[in-house]
Amino acid sequence: MKFKLKFKGREYNIEVSETEQGVKIKVNKKEFIFEEEPKEKSLSSVKSFPKKDFSPKTITAPISGVISEIFVKQGDRIKKGEKLILLSAMKMENEIVSDYDGKIKEILVKKNQKVKSNDTLLIIK
Amino acid sequence: MRILKYKIIDSTNSLAKKIAKENEEKPWTIVLTEEQRAGYGRNKSSWYSPKGGLYFSIILPKGNIDDLQTLTILAAFIIARVLKENFNLEPLIKLPNDIYIGKKKVAGVLTETIVSSNVKSSIIGIGLNTNIKDFPKDLKNIACSLEIVLNKKVNNEKILKQIVNGLKQQLKSRSKL
Repeated sequence: MKFKLKFKGREYNIEVSETEQGVKIKVNKKEFIFEEEPKEKSLSSVKSFPKKDFSPKTITAPISGVISEIFVKQGDRIKKGEKLILLSAMKMENEIVSDYDGKIKEILVKKNQKVKSNDTLLIIK
Repeated sequence: MRILKYKIIDSTNSLAKKIAKENEEKPWTIVLTEEQRAGYGRNKSSWYSPKGGLYFSIILPKGNIDDLQTLTILAAFIIARVLKENFNLEPLIKLPNDIYIGKKKVAGVLTETIVSSNVKSSIIGIGLNTNIKDFPKDLKNIACSLEIVLNKKVNNEKILKQIVNGLKQQLKSRSKL
């Protein structure tokens, strides 16, 4: 691609082409090659910013049992490690705590409900 | 055997859970108390815990939740064996977690875990009616103690060690625990 550019009264003949080394820009008789690398570097630096994950997280039953207590309600803000549900199995009581900070989006179980292993109990967003 | 001894606390299970949650306490640490203000069993049923009884909880090594399931029954068997071997009694295990002598309850086991995507901590609590002379009216017909049955006092510390060592021994072969 060739074009002319007038800048501060001076005329420049500019030629832009793609080469194996990168993008070549010829200004009058001088050549400048712009490799792809700087672009990649800038992209990778953007990628390295910590991402916040806003996708909903599901809390599932670790084993089969009965929901004996629900410590939270829909809309509650919760912190990692906070008690969510008490699941009583035949032989033990399991305090299910959150692995995430977030907000209770939905509670899918009720007190005294029987659940199976891996059933979704609640959703956090 | 690392034993944290108390005169009186609300519940050995509650305290052991708190300790296990807040600190990376060594597995097999034992929380032992002479008396509980709010001892509890399954489904938060209360456990009568006056001075004289044996009340303790063990912070267990981290394990798979399915492996932990068998622990309650295992503990009940060990308690029954200790009572039989020491006092020539014929205890009855009411699955999964109670031990009876005749028709009256003498001991209970409660295993509790704290779990998220994996098991954070687990504890096993044992309440054994050892040196209790008498029970309140509402419990008289359903609970008994070793002192009432044997008509003598027993050594709580010796029983504690036998139960804990029995559990350890049984779990030795299980690499995950």
